[in-house]
Amino acid sequence: MKPISFLLIEDDLIETLKFNRVLDTLKIKHSVNRVENGEEALEFLKNTDEVPDVILLDLNMPKMNGIEFLKILKDDRVLKYIPAIILSTSNNQKDILECYKIGIAGYLLKPLKYEDYSLKIKNLVVYWSCNEFIKV
Amino acid sequence: MSTTDLEILQRALLRERKARKAAENILEEKSRELYSITQQLKEANEKLQSGLTEKTTELQGVFDNLVDAYVLMDLGGNIIKLNEAAKELFGYDVPKEAVNVVRLIYKEDFNYAMLSFNLLIETGSFSDYIARVYTKNKGVRWVHINASIIKNSKNKPIGAQGIVKDITDQRAIEQQNNKLVQDLEKSNEELAEYAHIVSHDLKSPLRSINALVNWLREDYKSILDDAGLENMRLIEQTLEKMEHLINGILNYSSVNNIAVLKHEAVDINSIIKEIENTIFIPKHIKIIKKQNLPVINGDKTRLQQLFQNIISNAVNYIDKEIGIIQISFEDKKTHYLFEIKDNGIGIEKEYFDKIFKIFQSLGNNKNSTGIGLSIVKKIIEIYDGEIWLESVPKVGTSFFFTLKK
Amino acid sequence: MKGIVFTEFLELVEEKFGLAMVDKIITDSNLPSGGAYTAIGTYDFAEMLSLLTHLSEQTSIAIDDLLLVYGEHFFSVLARSYPQLIEKYKEPIELLSSIENHIHVEVRKIYPDAELPTFEIVEKTEQALIMIYKSSRAMSKFGLGLMYKAFAHYNANATILLDKIKVDGTEVKFSITQN
Repeated sequence: MKPISFLLIEDDLIETLKFNRVLDTLKIKHSVNRVENGEEALEFLKNTDEVPDVILLDLNMPKMNGIEFLKILKDDRVLKYIPAIILSTSNNQKDILECYKIGIAGYLLKPLKYEDYSLKIKNLVVYWSCNEFIKV
Repeated sequence: MSTTDLEILQRALLRERKARKAAENILEEKSRELYSITQQLKEANEKLQSGLTEKTTELQGVFDNLVDAYVLMDLGGNIIKLNEAAKELFGYDVPKEAVNVVRLIYKEDFNYAMLSFNLLIETGSFSDYIARVYTKNKGVRWVHINASIIKNSKNKPIGAQGIVKDITDQRAIEQQNNKLVQDLEKSNEELAEYAHIVSHDLKSPLRSINALVNWLREDYKSILDDAGLENMRLIEQTLEKMEHLINGILNYSSVNNIAVLKHEAVDINSIIKEIENTIFIPKHIKIIKKQNLPVINGDKTRLQQLFQNIISNAVNYIDKEIGIIQISFEDKKTHYLFEIKDNGIGIEKEYFDKIFKIFQSLGNNKNSTGIGLSIVKKIIEIYDGEIWLESVPKVGTSFFFTLKK
Repeated sequence: MKGIVFTEFLELVEEKFGLAMVDKIITDSNLPSGGAYTAIGTYDFAEMLSLLTHLSEQTSIAIDDLLLVYGEHFFSVLARSYPQLIEKYKEPIELLSSIENHIHVEVRKIYPDAELPTFEIVEKTEQALIMIYKSSRAMSKFGLGLMYKAFAHYNANATILLDKIKVDGTEVKFSITQN
């Protein structure tokens, strides 16, 4: 089975560590590429041969914020087919609505407790590893 | 001439003389009558004259002293009369100067003016015409006009009169106020937005610390003693409290965001049911509705927040073996008066005001941030209500609040 | 009764029968006023009655005939004094039918205390008029004289029949037909 590939857009180092640590406990084959912000993500996507299966991104990022990045992503003829999932501490209704409007595959609220976080990420990875992806 | 003839003539003469005297007396009597009648007439005339002058002066006074400008024109728009205020406003001295109202209409308002004039001719009046006019000395002014047609005794329109109010300054102030309100709304929105961003920035490190503590415990399980584990538990507890606080601030700052307020029929009964499903209520505490609760027009989220904060407060502070939270209301015509009564620990009178202020938590309850009741107060203020309480320490507390229908 | 009725009457008597006749009937009548009349005064009707009675005695002319002649004379007095009152009317029938509603109204404006007869119109066409004369003075013949002269004034003439409704002549029907 082909490993599932993630692009994690996250500026916080510990958040990245958390994500990797959860994934390492799983038996699912995976690969994670991490960039720190939207600009880097676009750069990465432009130059890579391996388009990720799923993009995970934080909304509050330095330079280009998550929503701006999403808009560019969903406007792209090729990249718009990649499911994008938001990881955020904010449940601002305005932001959630805006994200779904642009087109997201999920909105995950980061819980305070690591155990809760771990459970959510596990479920997410398990769920997406069951999915079929399309490469254009 | 015979004596008889002479006598006849003498008698005739005598009669003539007598008749003349009688006639003179009558005439004199009549002249006296005439004189006195003339005098009376003269007096009556004088009275009428002065009465008329009085009335005319009175009217002139009213006309001149009208604070608003008064304009009288014929149907061709030629101004016939201006009162003092109108002369002052427009700067023309009618009738010394001939002015047609068309000359006074601001270029861009011309079509509007013509529409209004047609309305005046067709229906006999127009009101609340607001447009600009040219004046001789004051430049372009904004005016408010109410006008009506004047008809002659045969009901035929002969002219029109209007009361003109200079609203230039008033408009400027209104515009200024509107701008202020808009700015305020914008800055309120920005503030709510800002609260979201700040809370995100504050929450992220909490998550990191939590994860790190977790890992320490996981990775160094074998070498940590009980004290170390206890300290880690305390760190986690402190993080939770911090998280709670941040959420509280976030809620408080978004209550004011009127832009997102909905206006819908909200059944308070179903709100209570939802609260019972949302918050944790220990088995020994019962929520009792004294009667069926009303339906209120408002924002469901805010109303739930209001009831939920008071009820969960009550739940948190009940120290009795059997806890009772009783909800009732009274219909007060314009408002509903609610009472939420508990048999909790009660509140000392000196804290009655303090508890509604932000960050004023009285107890040392871990679920209390001191923001809940200040949010309650804010929501009640949105619905033109008031909140107060009665409490007996150790016996219980009643929160009373009103909500506009 | 208005003084002018007396002064005009005595003038007519003087004209027709001389000053001596005037002196005679005044003396015989033994009048409260002494016969010193002024047109603008007001005198008791009884004096007129007394003067007429004595004139009738002296001249052997019936009182009614005297009244008729005096009425004819009095029209000219009215026409001279109040021409505008008469000029208002184009036809004599119009003039006569307006006595009650117009002419007497005007008279009362000048002489509020005048005691006037009433003329009630029974029937009126362009050419004919039936009126009921009512007056305690019973001087319908005086009215008849006035009417004849009124027609003459318009260069017209008429047949006027008088029927006494009351024997004492206080109520008389005038049937007037213009020829």
